Amino acid sequence: MRNTIRLMKIHAALYVMLIPVIIYFLVFVYYPLVRGVQLSFQADKLFGPKPYVGWDNYVTAWHDPEFWQVVRNTLIIGVGSLVAGFLPPIIIAVALNELLQITFKKFVQTVVYLPHLFSWVVIGGIWIYLLTPSGGLVNEIIKRLGGTSVGFLTDPTWARAVMILLPVWKGMGFAAIIYLASITSINPTLYEAARIDGANRFQQIYQITIPLLVPTMKVVLILDVLGLLRTFDQIYVMRNAVIQSKIDVLMVYVFDTGITNFKLGFASAVSVMVLVATLIITAITTVISRYEDQGG
Amino acid sequence: MAHISDTTPVSVGAGSLAHSRGATWRDRIFPFWNLVFLVILAATMIVPFLNVLAVSVSGPLASSRPGIHLWPEAFTFEGFRTVWVNVGLERAFVNSVIVTSIGTTLHVILASLAGYVLIQKDLPGKKLLVAFIIGTMAVPSELIMIPLYVVMKQLNLLNTLAALVISGLVSGFSILLMRNFFAGVPYDLAESARIDGASDFRIFTNIYLPLSKAGVATIALFELVGRWNQFLQVILFINDSSKYTLQVALQTLVTENMSTSGTSMVTPNVRMAGIIIAILPLIAIYPFMQKYFVQGISLGAVKE
Amino acid sequence: MTRNNPSSISDLINDAMRGKISRREVFRRGAALGISAAMLGPLAAMAQTPGASPAAESPESKAFFADQDALIKKIQGEPGKKLKMLSAVVGGKTPDEDKLWADEFKRLTGWELDLVHPTADYDQKLLAAFSSGEKYDLIYTNQDTVIRLQAQGGLNELTDKIKNSKILSNPTVIPPEERTKLIQIDDGKYFSAFQKFEGARMPTVRQDWIEKLGLEEPKTIDDFYNVMVAFRDKDPDGNGKADTYGLSMSGTYDIQPFMSGWGLIPGYKMVDGKRTIPYATEDAIPAYEWFAKLYKEKLLDPNFATNQTADMRNLFLHDRVGMVTYWDTWVGLFNNQRLAADPNTKFQAKGIPGAVGPDGKIVLNRGEPSVWTIPVMSGNVDTAFQFIEWWNTIPGIILGSLGIKDHDYTVSADGTYKLTKIGEEHGMDHGDPTPYNSNWHNPIGELPGIKPAQQISLKYGYLQQISPTWATDVQPILDEFGLKAMLGQMAAKDAITQMQSALKGKKAID
Repeated sequence: MRNTIRLMKIHAALYVMLIPVIIYFLVFVYYPLVRGVQLSFQADKLFGPKPYVGWDNYVTAWHDPEFWQVVRNTLIIGVGSLVAGFLPPIIIAVALNELLQITFKKFVQTVVYLPHLFSWVVIGGIWIYLLTPSGGLVNEIIKRLGGTSVGFLTDPTWARAVMILLPVWKGMGFAAIIYLASITSINPTLYEAARIDGANRFQQIYQITIPLLVPTMKVVLILDVLGLLRTFDQIYVMRNAVIQSKIDVLMVYVFDTGITNFKLGFASAVSVMVLVATLIITAITTVISRYEDQGG
Repeated sequence: MAHISDTTPVSVGAGSLAHSRGATWRDRIFPFWNLVFLVILAATMIVPFLNVLAVSVSGPLASSRPGIHLWPEAFTFEGFRTVWVNVGLERAFVNSVIVTSIGTTLHVILASLAGYVLIQKDLPGKKLLVAFIIGTMAVPSELIMIPLYVVMKQLNLLNTLAALVISGLVSGFSILLMRNFFAGVPYDLAESARIDGASDFRIFTNIYLPLSKAGVATIALFELVGRWNQFLQVILFINDSSKYTLQVALQTLVTENMSTSGTSMVTPNVRMAGIIIAILPLIAIYPFMQKYFVQGISLGAVKE
Repeated sequence: MTRNNPSSISDLINDAMRGKISRREVFRRGAALGISAAMLGPLAAMAQTPGASPAAESPESKAFFADQDALIKKIQGEPGKKLKMLSAVVGGKTPDEDKLWADEFKRLTGWELDLVHPTADYDQKLLAAFSSGEKYDLIYTNQDTVIRLQAQGGLNELTDKIKNSKILSNPTVIPPEERTKLIQIDDGKYFSAFQKFEGARMPTVRQDWIEKLGLEEPKTIDDFYNVMVAFRDKDPDGNGKADTYGLSMSGTYDIQPFMSGWGLIPGYKMVDGKRTIPYATEDAIPAYEWFAKLYKEKLLDPNFATNQTADMRNLFLHDRVGMVTYWDTWVGLFNNQRLAADPNTKFQAKGIPGAVGPDGKIVLNRGEPSVWTIPVMSGNVDTAFQFIEWWNTIPGIILGSLGIKDHDYTVSADGTYKLTKIGEEHGMDHGDPTPYNSNWHNPIGELPGIKPAQQISLKYGYLQQISPTWATDVQPILDEFGLKAMLGQMAAKDAITQMQSALKGKKAID
């Protein structure tokens, strides 16, 4: 005990250093967390005190078909992107690794990485423009090839496909570079040995590179899973009246109900449910990856 | 790298030798198709941006016509002038620069201070602190947007640039990243400095920071990009268009019906010029970034 | 109809045309119906009696000018008062111009103005301002929001203030009928005051194309269809390319001029004591089918569903489309923009009435009234109300229309007003392009084509009846299924069925 106090005295300056950080986290993370839970049990009134209404907001959300529609949309778009986006970066990383011309390799690396840097306002703005039926690049190419233009952002099925594929397009360069970094750290003697054993390129990739990328895949997947329920910018920027009901995701729904329509309590109830779901998903992913680490 | 030993079944037996002829043929054809694949891939990235660039420097009339625009038509910078002056993107740009620079600087300072505290071996309460910090990482900011809005309101920070600087002032991710960088600095260095009577703060500024420049650069660049692209917080906290940041001004330009109806025509060249303005600063710092981003991800992903 | 009490603008105009009533009478009655003198210009000229001088001679007008001078003196006598205002339309066109605008306000009144000017998601920002208790003194909004806020006790009542205001109670400033008809709440109470006159949205056609192709002004749905076909096929812009469309819109904004052809009205309609939405009834099926045909045949801009209004305006201004449906004031702004770019342009935009319905009627969407309100959190109710009065004086109107002196316009030594380059771009709109006040005569002159368009607004404009949750609950449903039908993604019949079940789910129809 005395030792602890002595240490604390020695490190007094360190504690002082931490004060702003602690205050920030308390005021802007933990307090809002508690406040959000509190709000979720309160009625929505524009003026004056808000009475407590128990589980009303949760019950309303639970029985709101729109809520379930956005849950469905979130899962379809989120899981869709997750699945569609899993292989491309690995393929790109392997392809880049096989490339011998350094300049071109650097160039491709740079280019595929770029979209990841840009905001969804930029990416959304570009693709809304590229996908318009008249004057948009994609449809102009389709027309030139003899097809008829497609309402990519007005046909709900197409729009969902676009919402699933755009994050893949935006993020695959970034993930590819993470994979590439792991590939370059693979011991070259492994390939040497394989070559001596007569393994061809494909066999080397399949039998050496891919298995060694598994830990990286886990990291990338975990990051993706954790982001699944948080999607906001992309949908908010790209939605329109026709497709809205088929692409609106949970966070957009929270923003619409809570901020646009000012039902703070209702929106908080939805947020709390999503938060609980996030925590469960996080716990599950962590457990699975730990288990695999030990098992593997 | 414990995996290497147990997950390397490089048992290419005699069977594969029989295919060695095919393998050589494949080995020759593979690089060609690989090249083709990468060229196409790069094209899917380049062509959209080329389209944007070409339209941004085309005339308003030319840019409004249907057809493929990969080359400027009626070349002019009018779109840039319109978006900068008439639409008023200039102010939004300045706001973004202010929020990004102040926000990033504070973020880096706070994250490194906290990261430094966390590497102290004998600090009482360290476990609690670590839990406190990691706990924040389980709460994505999107999920507390409603109460955050309420908190900003209570603090009278709504509709101020300060609210934007404050949101994301520091993050558990950056703190852990800095801690991981600092952990790479030999502890003995700090020990001997302490014995020589150096204060914690001096050890931090004179030993740790100079030896962790890469770490500082990593979180600074991460934060810079994140701040520049910040969107939800701006539409949450800002009412007045004079305080919009670039992303929100751009979004109003690209997807909203502007309520300031009398303004000049928002033709495609104007919109695309806005997009170019929004990405230019990122392209400018890009050369520094690639390296640090990978470093950051691999260090940040180290599990607690 | 009785002669002394014209029930509609059309009656008034007819009377004037036939010379039944004197010019002064036209002005008096016109003012009573909300038409400013400037709007009635050509008509008034037709009915002119020799020797009559401008409307300013009426006792009400004289009283207005005297009251205005007194008010301005009073305001300038108390410099340094502060006002905080939230507005989507009032002020400059850019954040920098907002500052200049506030400075100009200070120059004119001696008061400080803190202008908060969101350019997107205005309703959300407005609710946020209320809930946060920010001390706004004046809030610009629409009357439907007023009803919502008043129901929650958020607004100061202005009934007595309006009654006692010499300026606002003057019939030449605000026509009393307009006030009772459009912004009265609960038997004679007022919680808002007009911010400007709101027109209607109407088909705006390329009159020069119509003439060039030898077409008639379309009246029935079939006429409209034929005109669009000609716009598409007969190369009206003469560039030798088939790159023109008949019609462009921004989503379903605004389909009413055509819905009118099937006798449909926007908003709610009570049928046998039940709330119905005509756009979501069987009667609307042929209308959606008609739009689907336009879309399929490329008469309608293929991008219409995702267009922003700016996109549709661009197409119109750039000779890509022959017709759009938009606000009456934009007829003038379109002409103005092309004239500013090329004084010799042949371009001529013209507002025309919508399609004639089976009963011979035409119904256009009139804009929800734009109003000023004073929220309960304002600590300066009297000052804020004085601002509203000032807004209706000539200097107030100049600031709200022409804009900022020596920035948007200049005044020469002999008192001639001239717009600057910037002022021309801004189209004389700084929040109040169309004031009610009939004592106001725009020294620059009206924008070309705007007057006849405004007469169409008054003649056919109809204010839709909507509920407080219309924007959040009803409009998205009408848009989603309406657009799907128009895009040919589903049969119009199915779209209506789905609309109805969705609306019932929201308890929006009975």
